[in-house]
Amino acid sequence: MKIPRISPQTVRVLERFIEHPTAWRYGYELSRETGLKSGTLYPILMRLAKFSLLETKWVTTEDGVPPRHTYRLTPKGGELVRSLPGAASAAVKVRRPAFSGGRA
Amino acid sequence: MPVAYPRRIAALILRFAIGIAPHDTLDWGRGMLSELSHVQGNWAALIWAVGGAGVLAKHALLSVILPGSHRRTLSSASELFSEEGPRRKTTLAAIGACTVASLLFFLAPIFRQAFHVSLAQWHNVIHVKSVFDVQGPDPELETLARKAERNHDAEGLAFVATRTTNQSESARLTEKAVHLDPKLTWIYAVVAVQYPSLPEINQWVPLLQQSDPQNALPNLIVAEKIDIDLVVREKIPHRVEEQPAAWQNAMAAAFQSPKLDNYLARLIELDRRVLLRYQVDDPFQTLGDDRWYGLPSYAVADSSSYAHWLLESGRTLEAHGDRKGAFEKYLTVVRFGQMLGPVGGFFLRRERELQEACKRLGAISEEEGNKVEAAFYTSLADQTDRAQHEELISLTNKFKGSDVSHWNAFLVKASGLVILFSGGLLLTCALAIIVRGKSLRLSALRPSRSTLVVGLCGAIGALLSSAVLYVTYRPYAEILQRFMRNGDETSLTELSSFLDTTQRPLGAQGFLDVSQFAFYFWFGVVLLCIFGLLVAVFLRFQHRARANAAT
Repeated sequence: MKIPRISPQTVRVLERFIEHPTAWRYGYELSRETGLKSGTLYPILMRLAKFSLLETKWVTTEDGVPPRHTYRLTPKGGELVRSLPGAASAAVKVRRPAFSGGRA
Repeated sequence: MPVAYPRRIAALILRFAIGIAPHDTLDWGRGMLSELSHVQGNWAALIWAVGGAGVLAKHALLSVILPGSHRRTLSSASELFSEEGPRRKTTLAAIGACTVASLLFFLAPIFRQAFHVSLAQWHNVIHVKSVFDVQGPDPELETLARKAERNHDAEGLAFVATRTTNQSESARLTEKAVHLDPKLTWIYAVVAVQYPSLPEINQWVPLLQQSDPQNALPNLIVAEKIDIDLVVREKIPHRVEEQPAAWQNAMAAAFQSPKLDNYLARLIELDRRVLLRYQVDDPFQTLGDDRWYGLPSYAVADSSSYAHWLLESGRTLEAHGDRKGAFEKYLTVVRFGQMLGPVGGFFLRRERELQEACKRLGAISEEEGNKVEAAFYTSLADQTDRAQHEELISLTNKFKGSDVSHWNAFLVKASGLVILFSGGLLLTCALAIIVRGKSLRLSALRPSRSTLVVGLCGAIGALLSSAVLYVTYRPYAEILQRFMRNGDETSLTELSSFLDTTQRPLGAQGFLDVSQFAFYFWFGVVLLCIFGLLVAVFLRFQHRARANAAT
């Protein structure tokens, strides 16, 4: 099957998810790890979720702190990513964190 | 601890974006807002909010333009990746359409002319030359001269002779033109006014006097040549009596001549015929340089002192009771002033000799009891005063040009610049796509998103600036065509002012600034090159450092 071309930014996001397929990830955390700004990251996440490749959930971490929106690959998403040769195993490059205003 | 302003503004921006976002993106918007409190750094939080708000705003806009787009259900996972394809194709099609539309403008001769005019500002910047290098060749004129010589076209040769900056070539072409068509003898006068120190003038003047014996111009040309020779030899006389006899005779003959024709009208007609014959559509060639005056400037300026001397002589004669002799002297001044006309008369009127002569004529007529003549000369003196004032205003306006022509010249220059810049962007994008695809096959060419954005900006910029250039220049092209076809000189001053302004680079206020502008331009180019070189060296070292770290 001919695999459609995926943007390098989407590959970066999928790489983060495929490392821990069952883990729930935060938007800001993904942004720092991929080096993508919110304006680039969220359209990717929204599109992945739109095609049911990503599931979303609100989680409350501690009292007084607003709940956070978290994301995880669905089994369908994980399956698709694994079927993309080289997509998720693209060469890892040294990337500058997107928001390096201080230490996490 | 109070929340910092950037973070507060960030929260406000995101909340506003959530307010306008479509229903199905609300969760995402709230997700971005909840993450905001975890973003490290206030400015980073603001950038996060701006990016997120941009995403929500885009969805809000899409939901308005395409109401059904946010209710679409998923069909297959493969759509996820195929969605970028059509969008890319649409963008490429838009870039292609805009580029083709911009290029189509070049099919219109008016647009090509407009583009040529818009680039005139760079001529003096790119062709930096020494101030002594005034005899720069003009390839267009040289081609025209060759054609005219081949065709034995006397008018064509005369056209080039009056425009070339090469003095000896001008003299050669003039003689050849008159040899081919003796009716063009008047061209001698035009060239002699332009190059007053040409040795050939001595042979030309008798021929001019023979062909047009009543004209004062040949005498003024003689006076001009003597004047310039004296200036070159640094023997500048301060009084009329100190001038050589030949100068005094020439000036006396000029003042006694019944007419003064600078042949400007004939020259304009000749220019038009030649431009149409050789299909020259360059507006700068059409209007030529400084054709507004067409008289020997030294001699006309000196005519003021000669008029002053005549007035002095008249007063002396009056003092000795010779009213008739004085009347003749004053009348000579008035007649010459009238003959110089509205433009040339400026020199004479500046010193008020003409007004003074009119007043003296009025006074003598009054003394002799000729009241009608006295009233006539008094009114002539008043008219001279008003005419001088109006002429000054007219000359000032002519040199200043109108605000409309300045604004249009700015638009034309800016449009030309944007077309060049946009063309550069499009070319860079095309090269980037080819380099990225490593092939010239269409299927292998996959532009990145940033390349597409830059390409789209370039294509839109090229199209818009082409349209602005065409619309702005069109009225001037019509003025030029009217003049060329029918000799209609309406609004020609406006066109002249517009073309003058287009030759000044953007940012240069006057012609004197052009040399400074050229200096700053090339200084900027050199600085940019040095900066580019430093960036290239830096990137090279950074790349090497990364490679070393990887190994």
